[in-house]
Amino acid sequence: MFFRILGESFLRNPARKWLEAAALALGMAITTAALVTALDVGDRMAREFRRLGANLVVTPKTDTLPLEIGGTDYRPVEEGAYLKDEDLGKLRTIFWRLNIVGFTPFLDAPAELERGQNRFATRVIGTWVAHEVAVPDGTTFTTGVLATHPWWKVEGAWFPENAIVTRGDASDNATTRGGRDVVVGASLASRAGIRRGDWFTIRLGGHEIDMQATGILTSGGAEDQAIVAPLNLVQGLTGHLGEYRRLAVSALTSPEDEFAKRDPDTMTPTDYDRWFCTPYISSIAFQIKQTLPGANVRVVRQVAETEGRVLGRLSALLWLVSVTALVSVALVIGSTSATTVLERRQEIGLMKALGAGRRRIVGLFVAEQVFVAVCGGLAGYLAGEGLGYAVGEIVFGIPGTGRLVLLPVVLALALAVTLAGSLWPLGRVARLDAAPVLRGE
Amino acid sequence: MMFWRVLRQMIVRGRGRLAVALVALVSGATASAALLNLEFDAERKFSHELRQLGPNVLVRSAVAPGASDEPGGVFDAEVVNGLLTEASGAGGGPVTGLAPSLYVIVRSPGAETGLVLAGTWLDAYPRLAPWWSVNGAWVTERADTNVCLVGQQAAAKLRVRPGSTVELRYAERTATLRVAGIVSTGGAEDDQVFANLPVAQQLAGLPGKVSVVQMSVAGAPQEVERYASQLAPRLPGLEVRPLRQIAQAEGQLLARVQDLLFWSVGLILLLTSLCVLATTLALAIERRADVGLMKALGGQMTRIVRMFMAEAGLLGAVGGIAGAVMGTVLSAWIGRQVFGTATSVRIEVIPLIVAVMVAVALLGALPLRLLSHVRPGIVLRESK
Repeated sequence: MFFRILGESFLRNPARKWLEAAALALGMAITTAALVTALDVGDRMAREFRRLGANLVVTPKTDTLPLEIGGTDYRPVEEGAYLKDEDLGKLRTIFWRLNIVGFTPFLDAPAELERGQNRFATRVIGTWVAHEVAVPDGTTFTTGVLATHPWWKVEGAWFPENAIVTRGDASDNATTRGGRDVVVGASLASRAGIRRGDWFTIRLGGHEIDMQATGILTSGGAEDQAIVAPLNLVQGLTGHLGEYRRLAVSALTSPEDEFAKRDPDTMTPTDYDRWFCTPYISSIAFQIKQTLPGANVRVVRQVAETEGRVLGRLSALLWLVSVTALVSVALVIGSTSATTVLERRQEIGLMKALGAGRRRIVGLFVAEQVFVAVCGGLAGYLAGEGLGYAVGEIVFGIPGTGRLVLLPVVLALALAVTLAGSLWPLGRVARLDAAPVLRGE
Repeated sequence: MMFWRVLRQMIVRGRGRLAVALVALVSGATASAALLNLEFDAERKFSHELRQLGPNVLVRSAVAPGASDEPGGVFDAEVVNGLLTEASGAGGGPVTGLAPSLYVIVRSPGAETGLVLAGTWLDAYPRLAPWWSVNGAWVTERADTNVCLVGQQAAAKLRVRPGSTVELRYAERTATLRVAGIVSTGGAEDDQVFANLPVAQQLAGLPGKVSVVQMSVAGAPQEVERYASQLAPRLPGLEVRPLRQIAQAEGQLLARVQDLLFWSVGLILLLTSLCVLATTLALAIERRADVGLMKALGGQMTRIVRMFMAEAGLLGAVGGIAGAVMGTVLSAWIGRQVFGTATSVRIEVIPLIVAVMVAVALLGALPLRLLSHVRPGIVLRESK
């Protein structure tokens, strides 16, 4: 009997139920999409912030003070300490290895460029472009300036990375191809009249070798005045085989909060674990320091601070937007449910007149509303996931990730909102006497 | 006057369900108004946040830095005065901050191999480089030649703390400075000592010379590039270089934030309107009996529809106005929560929201028109 009446109610007046379910589905779609976006935005924007380049810098611990002015270190090559590049694969074995987007070692040396009659004082910067690093777990990881310095633009092509140059090769002045291919900074190139494909001579540390420009580099930094070459070429020329002086690390981090600013040494073991297992920039720096012997890891505050602040504000904003949308949608749906119940006073009156108890009537309406809520909530969840996916695709180029966790949340919300909206008028109507209601008073 | 009397009666009699519908309209309008306000303002606020990334244009000597021990060329500080008038010129100009620097490689007990001294306007740094974290105090006076800030790595090497003194030597000249604070930035500044410009000029024996001018220029990356290329011809022998790392990342990040806000706010607005529409539609459908009754009493269909439209329009207007006002307050509150400053009020949002809400309410009442073919008898019987 109960179910027959329920079924009848849906069949007899479908428009009203459809509208309620539609409002519900729309509202839940907003909620789901907003939640999906708010949950994702931290990760997505953190990745966008990596366009700013490295947020961690690794230097040797026992180093003399670098004499860096305008991005160029004026220390002589023989001075200062170096780090070993064979350890770099270990960076992909730390707890937050997947958050390490890229790292690039640098080694540079003063040099003299000779072209025709003219000589230019410059520097040769050795680095990786897209270098395959062997990770101790047997995999390889490709990294270099393409990952850590995305604003560097090369007109032409980068030099090939795979040329192996040993000390013997480098000092040998034969014009072999590969390993002598370099890119030339734009300012230097225009002063020296070098275009891509041109050959020129470099004097560095007693060696004199011919190099070919495979491309012209614009970086907006000190590199515009320099020559960028494969790391192993510069290592060979300077006699620092397998060594580098500075490592730029680009890592995905979560914004620092008050907790992250505490000193890990004074934390309780539980707090320490929590700190260690959160991708704060300080905990990633700490893990890198543990991995690379003799290294000093510094947080580039200029990048990290701005990133933390903007990310924190953006996700706070999106959460508040989600909550605003949610509350307003809840009120809209609640009022729709209330309207549909209020309009059925006569029906309720009739039921009462026919001897239905209050509990029975309320049960019937609740069952009806639950059914509408589940259908609307489910449809809304699916539509919302679709929208979240689309927003991710449009804004970040990466579709949003589906989150099944949200399904029970959204269904519970749909139920709560519909029941809250309908129970109040239902209670009022069910308490009325049948006769005046039926008369339409 | 019959029209208005009936309308008033309709509203007074049906106040219960109208109030319920009003709740829907007001909350929809509130959310829409708040989000629209935020959307307009958030872009500006985020652009301001990203501006904190620091100087984005450098002016330096066009002579390349040599391979030797000495940093590249220096130029007359006269240039700085020219740039300064630009920064404080009429109309505000795009330059929001600038500081000249002279770099000297000096020696000091504890750093015998050398140490970079940057002579600059220390009072400009709290604004130019807000990410610097200073243990101790900033230097607030540009003419004070007795104090310095020391980078944290340099401080460890020199074994100094805020309050101690540091002795710097260049050739046969020396300067003794009091350490006002220890600076930590994570950049090259950690290895350097910062003093006011005259200290470095006097120590290096280069009075009136600077080696670089750092500028903070407001605007999108293209505007910054344009400003730099306009500035370059006026400064012969100097190189004006926009820092692409900062400028480009700033532009791209801002574009992402804008896209994100635009799409999420746009979607929420659209769906909220549809949701409110569903409510007003439900309200209209429930009015069939009333339409039937009016028809039975001899009302003309156009007149009846007009009456219901007036009711819906009134409802939309009231909901829209109330919601727009509440939404403005809400957006100010959210702005304070997120950015620390209230969102500025956009007056144009209020009429926009009222218009949308009236349109939605009228659209919701439109199906009543379809009731013109309704035969009063059937509707009335059905409802009783």
